[in-house]
Amino acid sequence: MRPGRSDEYQEFAAARAGHLYRSACLLTGGDTHLAEDLVQETLGKVYVRWGRVSRADNPAAYAQTVLTRTYLAHQRRHSSRKEHSTASLPDTAGPGPTGDAPLRLTLVEALGRLPAKDRTVVVLRYWEDRSIEQTAVAMNTSSAAVRTRCVRALARLRSLLGDSLVEYARP
Amino acid sequence: MPVDDNDPNDAFEVRFTEALHQAGSGFEPPRQDLAARGEARGRRRAFRRQAAVLGGVTTVALIGVGGALMLPGGQAVGSHSSSTGASSPSVPPATSAATTSVSGDALVHTLEKLLPKGEFSDEEARGTGDPLPPFAKVVYDDGNGKAAVAVSFSRLRPGGQEARQTTECPDKVFIAFDTCRTTTLDDGSKLMILKGYEYPNSRSGTKLWTAEYVSRTGQHVSVQEWNAAAEKDAPVTRALPPLTAEQLSQLATARQWRTALDAVLVPPAAADPSPARGVPGGSVSSTLVSLLPKGVRVVSKSSADAGFGYAVLDDGKGASLVQVNVQGDQSDVENELFGAGTKTLPNGMKVVTHQRPGEKGGEGVVWWTVDTIRPDGYRVVISAFNSGAQNTAATRSTPALTMQQLETIATNAKWYARH
Repeated sequence: MRPGRSDEYQEFAAARAGHLYRSACLLTGGDTHLAEDLVQETLGKVYVRWGRVSRADNPAAYAQTVLTRTYLAHQRRHSSRKEHSTASLPDTAGPGPTGDAPLRLTLVEALGRLPAKDRTVVVLRYWEDRSIEQTAVAMNTSSAAVRTRCVRALARLRSLLGDSLVEYARP
Repeated sequence: MPVDDNDPNDAFEVRFTEALHQAGSGFEPPRQDLAARGEARGRRRAFRRQAAVLGGVTTVALIGVGGALMLPGGQAVGSHSSSTGASSPSVPPATSAATTSVSGDALVHTLEKLLPKGEFSDEEARGTGDPLPPFAKVVYDDGNGKAAVAVSFSRLRPGGQEARQTTECPDKVFIAFDTCRTTTLDDGSKLMILKGYEYPNSRSGTKLWTAEYVSRTGQHVSVQEWNAAAEKDAPVTRALPPLTAEQLSQLATARQWRTALDAVLVPPAAADPSPARGVPGGSVSSTLVSLLPKGVRVVSKSSADAGFGYAVLDDGKGASLVQVNVQGDQSDVENELFGAGTKTLPNGMKVVTHQRPGEKGGEGVVWWTVDTIRPDGYRVVISAFNSGAQNTAATRSTPALTMQQLETIATNAKWYARH
């Protein structure tokens, strides 16, 4: 990589690593160790393709898509474990939350109970604010499939979280 | 925010979105060097060109098995004594006491001295004082066209997975290459020479030849050369990269790199997690192949991995992908996975079978699975497809193995003999 490009990449990676990590934490349902690994993997992939990524309209969105696909590939690789509801929270070791701890646990726990692809749809739509079409592209699937998953996931989250969101979401 | 009009869930969506942003923002990255670690991983990835392995294990493609490069055996690398010592290979020194740091300029200078006569330009380097791995890169012209040549240095945990995989020829299922050969040198260090391509799948004509040298103490030298003046986005300037396999190996094993290598720190133990508990012998694909019924030909199989492996089989009626996952304690999901239709064998092992359409879009692909779990939670799952890959169209009506054969394989004691 040319020195100029290398600087550009480093600036990009430093600026995006935090957000990618937060996205990864939500994608993994709070598995912070896996999240850390996914972010490193994502930045590694972006590094290799930086020549092209840096010319993309939105390198940040590109990196987010790489993260999504890296996560889904990880899930595929471990797919024999199936998409399952976690009876207990995944490993959330690491520095303590800086936000509202009770909220995070409740919401992240609920996310963790969704099948991986449903969770991915939710994170892309409501955390990344992506449209159904953009979500479908990132996940290599159809808009119809995203819509179905989204409706199903929201219904499930609603039943899991119910009115607790009202209680927690207002500071 | 994506909210559909007239959706009764609107109010919930609004609240949920707010709450999700609060919850997500509460996760603080556990380390400051996440970005640097990502870059380091990218650098290794670029150097090894094994990108496909990590992301696409289950979407395999059929690529024929190639020949092997004849490298003169037992390259003499002189007395390869290492200042780090080898008294306890599993506990490498954590610091580089009394090492001399080497500047990027010095690395470039050494590289240019070690290369055969020619012209040099576009030098680029990073010394050993930087937190990221040191390297030197030049554009070299031996008179037959400009070519990028790079050398980089790192330290791998001796005996660790990465040390092993770095000098292990990659699986042809994942990347395209012409020849690859790994040699064990007289002092026990390993050297891999790989003649491959910059773009593994596109065959743009940019060739990338690499030498990966790993000493017994984990000192790693990676040399790369291209038949173009830059690794990417540059036209091919010559038919082949400038250095022969022998020249590549001499460059990778040159004693002139010793000082730089001694200055590179050993990565922290956490960077190389201990191998997960897996199949005895460490290779799922080898165990799978050893359990196949007679008369089934193995077209290809994955490289050694203790948790996942596959083989593409052909019984004369077309290709059929068979893959196996082996997992440690899965007791927490046992009830969910082994529900209706589960049978329990006399030894306490539970077995459940599934036959369903493939999930990755291959036309007409079926997916047969036998899932097993032992009382201690050790799980073996075998899946078979009526295609050489999950994402390609069916090549036959059913997989090459029957459900009974899959069950016989999955319940064999070879998967867990040691556990």
